[in-house]
Parts: sequence; C-alpha cells; structure tokens
Amino acid sequence: MNIVACVKQVPDTEALIKVKADGSGIEEGGIKWVMNPYDEYGVEEALKLKEANGGEVTVVSLGPARAMETIRTALAMGADKGVHITIDDADEYNTAAALAAVIKGINPDIVLCGQRAIDNDSTQVGSILAELLGIPQVTIVTGLEAANGKIKAIKPIEGAQLVIESPMPCVVTAQKGLNEPRYASLPGIMKAKKKPVDVKDAAALGISVEPKAKIIKMTPPPKRAAGKIIGGDDPAAKAAELAKLLREEAKVI
Amino acid sequence: MAHGGHVYSAGNEGREVFWNAPFPSELILFLFAAIAIAICAYGFYLRWQMWKAIGRPENRTDSTGERIKSLLLNGLLQIRTFKDAYPGIMHALIFFGFFVLIFGAAFDATHYHLPFLVPFFNGGFYLGFSFIMEVFGLAVLVGVVLAVWRKYVQKPDRLGYRGKADAVADDAIALLLIAGIIVTGFLLEGFRLYVNINVDGFTWGGWSFVGYAFAKTLTGVSYDTVRILHKLTWWIHAFIAFGFIAYLPFSKLMHIVLAPANQYMKSLKPTGYLEPIADFENAESFGVGQLENFTWKQIFNTDACLRCGRCQDGCPAYLSGKPLSPKKLHQDIKEYWLERVPVVMAAKKAAAKKGEEPVIPDPEKAMVGEVVDLHELWACTNCMYCMEVCPVFNEHVPMIIGMRQYKVLMEADFSPELQLTYRNMENNSNPWGIGTHLRAEWAKDLGVKTLAEDPNVEYLFYVGCSGSFDDRGKKVTIAFAKLLKEAGVSFGIMGGEESCCGDSAMRGGNEYLSQTLAQMNIDVMNGYGVKKIICTCPHGYNMIKKDYPHFGGNFEVYHHTEIIADLIAQGKVKLKKSVQGLFTYHDSCFLGRYNDIYEQPRKVLKAVPGMKLSEMDRNYAKSFCCGAGGGRMWMEEDIGERINDMRTDQAMEAKADTIAVACPFCLTMMSDGIKDRQAEEKMNALDIAEIVWEAMGFEEAMETETPSETA
Repeated sequence: MNIVACVKQVPDTEALIKVKADGSGIEEGGIKWVMNPYDEYGVEEALKLKEANGGEVTVVSLGPARAMETIRTALAMGADKGVHITIDDADEYNTAAALAAVIKGINPDIVLCGQRAIDNDSTQVGSILAELLGIPQVTIVTGLEAANGKIKAIKPIEGAQLVIESPMPCVVTAQKGLNEPRYASLPGIMKAKKKPVDVKDAAALGISVEPKAKIIKMTPPPKRAAGKIIGGDDPAAKAAELAKLLREEAKVI
Repeated sequence: MAHGGHVYSAGNEGREVFWNAPFPSELILFLFAAIAIAICAYGFYLRWQMWKAIGRPENRTDSTGERIKSLLLNGLLQIRTFKDAYPGIMHALIFFGFFVLIFGAAFDATHYHLPFLVPFFNGGFYLGFSFIMEVFGLAVLVGVVLAVWRKYVQKPDRLGYRGKADAVADDAIALLLIAGIIVTGFLLEGFRLYVNINVDGFTWGGWSFVGYAFAKTLTGVSYDTVRILHKLTWWIHAFIAFGFIAYLPFSKLMHIVLAPANQYMKSLKPTGYLEPIADFENAESFGVGQLENFTWKQIFNTDACLRCGRCQDGCPAYLSGKPLSPKKLHQDIKEYWLERVPVVMAAKKAAAKKGEEPVIPDPEKAMVGEVVDLHELWACTNCMYCMEVCPVFNEHVPMIIGMRQYKVLMEADFSPELQLTYRNMENNSNPWGIGTHLRAEWAKDLGVKTLAEDPNVEYLFYVGCSGSFDDRGKKVTIAFAKLLKEAGVSFGIMGGEESCCGDSAMRGGNEYLSQTLAQMNIDVMNGYGVKKIICTCPHGYNMIKKDYPHFGGNFEVYHHTEIIADLIAQGKVKLKKSVQGLFTYHDSCFLGRYNDIYEQPRKVLKAVPGMKLSEMDRNYAKSFCCGAGGGRMWMEEDIGERINDMRTDQAMEAKADTIAVACPFCLTMMSDGIKDRQAEEKMNALDIAEIVWEAMGFEEAMETETPSETA
C-alpha cells in the first residue's frame, strides 16, 4: 500500500505565544516546535496500515527549514521517506496545492492528514487537497480499516457515529481517538537521520505562492481581568453583594 | 597399643590420630578424599566454564586493597550478614564454627603429617585446643538448629514468595551434611574418650565437654562394642565430609566460595551508579534484551544469590503486593541461564571446532517479558534497599534498568503514562509538560536572580522540575529561597535555561533522553562557570553529583538539608520560633541509601525549638520508599496496595502529626498518602526547608502585613 501522511510543524501547545508588535504573526523566538498532534495520529495510522498491508509511507511537510525536524520525527516513528516543501508560509489553498503537486507524483492509495492544525485551526487543507487530487475525502475520523481497494472509516457526530465507506485512493483526516501515536525507538531515531528526504521549493513544483487568503492582523486574546473576592462576615450580605455585582457589573443576571 | 583402654592419663593428654583405624584405613581415607576433592574441583571447573560462556566483559579485579578490605569485613567478619540479628547470628555460628573447625583439622593434620611444624600437640595446649574445637563444633550445631527452626518452623515470608516456601531439597541436604559432620564428630570423640580414658568423675577428658558427656552415657558398654561403633562412625563421618566436599559446587554450599568472591568483586562505584551508554550513533542494540547483554558479573550474581530474601524483606514493590521480588528476579534469571548456558556452550564449542563465529540458537522464551514479567520490571522504585542489604552484594537495580532500557530504547514498548512523561520532557523539559517559560514563575516576586542576570554567585540553586512546576513543590522552593536570602547566601538560579535533571528518564530506561537533558543543563552550567550547586530534590542531587561527571559536568553538589545544617551550625540561620508537634522524618532513598545523608536532616529537625522527633520502625538505611523513585512517580500504581499509603501508615504508627521530608517526590507521595487515609486534619507533610523557614519566625511578620494590604 502506498501511503502518504501530511504533517505540519506547529508550536508546542504549552509554548508561550507572543504576537508580533505589528500583528503580522507570532514571535518565533524561544518556541518549541512539534508535530501537529492530529498529524501524529495520521502518521501513526499510516504506519499501522503499512504494518498490516506492506508498502511504503511517505511524509510530506510544507514549512521553513525547521520543518525538517518534524519530518525526521515521522521518519523516526517508522515512515520510509520524506518530502520537504520549502515554503516558509502559505495559506490553506496554496499549502494544499503544493501538497497535491507532490502527492500526484507519488500516486498513493491513501493520504492521511490531521483533521486540523492546532496553530491556525482552519480545518481546510485536507479537504482542499482531496478536491485538488480529485479523490474522495472522509474527515475527522476515529476509526479506519482499509482492504480490497476500499476504506471503512468511523466518524463521530453529535450523539452518534457514522460508518463511511469510500473507494481508494482517498484522503482521510485524523481525529483524536484514532490511535495512540507510538514513541520512537532509539534505532528508529538513528535510522531516521539517514532516510531520504526530497527537498522541493515552489518553483520546482510550479505553484504560486501568491496567497488567496491573507491574515490581516493577529491580536492576542484580551487579558482576563482579575477576579474579585467579596469580603465580610455575614453570608447574607455577601450573597446580596454577589447578586448585585452579577447584575450590575457582570450583567449576567 | 589398642588394648583394654585408658592409655591416656593425666600428664599424658592427647590423642592418637587414626586411633582404631588400622591399615589400610588411612590409605582408603586419602583415596576417597582425593576423589571428593577432584569432584569438587571438576564441579567448579564446569561452573567456571558456565560463568565464562555468557555475558559482556566487566572488570571487577581492580583496586585490590579496597576489595581485600571488603572481603575481610564482609567475608571474614560478616559485617553485612550481622545487620539482621537472627539470621546474622545463625550464620555466624555456622560460619565461625566451621571456620575454626576446618583450621583445627588442618592444624591437627599438620601435626600428624609434618610434626616438625607443629611439634606441640599435647598437655595443656591440647586441652585448650580440644576445648575450643568443642565450643565451635557446638556453635555449628546450634546454628544448624536455628536454621532448621527458621526455615521449617518459623518460615518467614522472605524464605519464599508470597507464602509459597522455596522448598528446595538442596537446602535440607546442605543442613544435613553440616549437622552430620558435627554430630558424628562428637560421637566419634565420645567413643574414643570412653575407650581411651577413664570417664568416671571429671578427668581432663572433660575439656572435650560434649564428647565427654556422651562418653559418660556409655558406661557399662563393652569396649569392644564401642570400638566397633567408633570404627563405623569414623567411616560415616569421613564419608559425610567427602560428600560435603563433592556436593559443594553443585549446591547452595557453593556460596562458601561465591559469597566471598562476590564480596571481593563488589561494585566499588558510587551507590546507584549506572554505566552510561557511550555511543548512541553506532551501537546496534541498547539495554538488556538477552542474557548476553548482561555483564558476566550480573549473571554471576544470580548464581551467588542464596535466596536469603533479605532484599524481599524491605522491597516496597514486593511488600505492596506487586509481582517483583529482587530475589525471585535473580532466581528466575538464574534458572533461565541454567537452561541457556548449555545451548550457548555447545554452539560455541561447535563453532570453535570449525573455526567459525558461533551461531547461537534463539531462545524459546524471551527474557524480558517472559522470564521477567513486565510488571516486575516496572514495579521497581530503584529504592536500593535490596542492594543495601544483600549479603553478597548483588546488584539488582542496574539489571532492572538495563532491561527497561531495552523495552524503552529498542522496542519503544512501555506504559503510555511514561511515554507522555518522556514527550513532555522532550518538548518542555519537565515531566508535566508545563510550558518551559513558566519554570521560574515562583521566583517572580522574590528578587531571586538568574545566572543570566548575575553569574557572580557562590551557588547555583538547581530548582528542578518539582520545585519549579508542582504547586506544592513551589512552596518548598520559595521557603528555601527565602531562607537562603535571609542567611545571606550568594546564589542564583538558571531560570528558563534550566532543564529537567534527567533522573526519571534514566531510571525509567530512557538513557537517550536523560543524556540529552543532562547535556543541556551541563552546557548552561559550564557556560556560567558554575562550581557549587544546591538541590532541593535528591533525584537531581544524585544525578548531578554522580552522573553529570560522565558528560563533562563536574560540580560540588549539596542537598539543601546539608546547606541548612551548615547554616544553623554557623549561626547564619537562627531558629527562634517554636514549632509544636511530633515529627517523624521520612528518609528519602536518594538521600539516605544513595548518598548516606541520614544525620543532617535529623540534626536540622532537632535544632527546631519545640519539636519532638519520633522515628518510624523502618528508618535510616532500612527506610521504606515512598514509591516515587525509578520513574514510578509518573506511572500508575494499579497492582497491590499503594506504597505511599503504606508509608503513611508507618508514620501514623510512629504517632507523628507531621511527616518531615527532604524530597519533593516524597512530599507528593506522603501528602497523597495522608489524603488517602483521610488524615488531613491530624497529619501534615512538610519539607525540612519549610519547617526551618517557619521556625526562623519571619513569616509571622508577613502575615500581619497581609490584612493591611486588603483593608
């Protein structure tokens, strides 16, 4: 089975995010970069499919030079080779277009993406990619089986779950619960350093970097105001004060 | 010569060697002695081949002086064996008894065969000699009785596994052989005395008081009968002794050689020492997945294990109902080794004949996972109790870590909680995965400077993860930082440049991660020219002190209890305020057994006015682990009882209302234990730094300030 897993490098969930003064993006200094957690489920599922059916797993990532670490992380987990698209930043459409340009050449049976990236949360790349490749997509999947040219995927919805069948090739986007991503073994980490990674830029792929969507301004969420402690010894008076504040200041009752 | 009797009388004290054993008894005796010795030698030769067959090389014959010292103290003087009273005395009686008897026999034989060396063997000297031999012979018998009583009547749990006794025929045979030699020896003596001297009343024969007493009971029996009995017993005595010699290398009696060998070859490295993995890039395998990944010494240790069970007696994993017993672990590996070693030896022999590299057939059973159950492997808290008490200095903990390394580094197959912990350490350099930028949050309002702000300080206060991120731990850190400031100590912290020390990763088998973290710290520390380091966490303390030197980090490392004890002694910390309560001090394993710091924390506590100290039964070197060492802090504890709850119970038995600790892991475990036992209202766990800071009496002033702020 020829499998592709798309991965994005994102700031660690615990990283301290500071918005640049001009609002054009975030300060990257001091940030620990990790593989997007949803993409990790995708990589894990790709490896499981390979273990069950044989074949090859190619990881594809778009991002600046540092994104190579994330490709190596996937290779350490057990992927066979990587493609690094060296575009520093791209909007969702261009990202999908660049991925599609690479993936067309690989001609996979299945493409796995994370259901979204935890940095910009746009939830678009997997779907646009499927459109550009002209293949079916099943999104936000928590269970996956693949056999005889078909997949059967489980997708949770409000109060129920759908079992969706699709022919292969197709794009599947991974949701938490799909699997438990493995911890890379040390031989895996060592071998990953020697696995082949193709480096391609926009020109080589013949795609435009002119964004269709632009982030105009990024602002940090408003600071939470300090809480208020109601003093006094008389519970009744305290309750009255609380009611008053909730009505007049917080305006919630 | 051999007439009616009473040839020896006063003034002619002595005995005739080979009395009543005419030609060719002596020749037959020597013949069989030679056979027995040959069997014994052959047995050891076979064993030697087996020891050589499997295991990585390791040098245990350096530093001769220190090794001889250990041999004399632990072998000859039985220091470690004595640390447990009943079995210590029991063993000493047999050991010293046998030791003296063997030298006595050798002395006797020298007198007989080489009389010019020992010409004096009569008169007063003979009587004294006889008396001593008698005393030590009796000692052996008493020892054997104590052993039988212990093994077959008392049946302590540690001589078995979970109520199932280690019923091995070998144990009984060994005791029977020992008892047989002594009993027949006394009988022989009695028979000989009866025939040779007048046993009416007290004569000089009374110096051999056991044999003499027996001889008296023979009164009335004809000398001829006694002669026949003597001859019969003589041969029985001889053949039991030969049996003993021949049986030795095939039985637990082998410990007569292996125990002193192991005491000589004990590890001279600091407690808890782990050989670092040197070359991650080029090594083909990591850790211990197969018997051959152990060192020869580690395998030898399993053979030297006598199943005495001292390790099991204080093992927190075993006592809390987890499947691990250090004794069982050794015995299981030994059994596996006994299965594998003939296969390996045969393969090597066949290959040597053909001049090829040996191809060793794969074992039927996986060592890690089948011979050693994974629950056993992961139950160990690295508390070091087993290694502290093992009379033959076996090294259980490094073997366990070796196998963990295999599971983690090679197979990446280990508990999900620990995987998460390691990912957190990788991404945020702390086990909780809290943003690394929050590491020095606690110091914000205290005016504590980072080394980046001021590198010209005497000490680096290495705060560690618990002290930086855990809410309870942060309180200790703050108390200690305030204490240092108040005492005028010049110190700084690493702030955001600090990484996890790596202890939990190392002991949980993730040597790669551990070394990465250590290296990060060492680079920063060396970058600022750090010389002295204070740690509040014994895990970081131990790691920085003993493991960082492998990676270029050479520092003077102090635990905060050492620093506080010093500051009190110098008068820089004054304890003015009375702190009421009955405290008990819980020894942290990584402070006590690992680093021999027992007295400083107690000294500090005793200096606190108003405080009373009550010791738990399990304390000092025999302290009971809190359950958090060896990476266990980050793992679920779902088998058996919770170790921290057991320890809390022990503190309650000591009637303590405060458990004083000197380790953030212990603090968490004891606090949780108190909660589990729903004893929060009457009990409390505090770090020594908090107690001292309280007793310094500055906090009151602050408390009076607080209301005015809110007013």
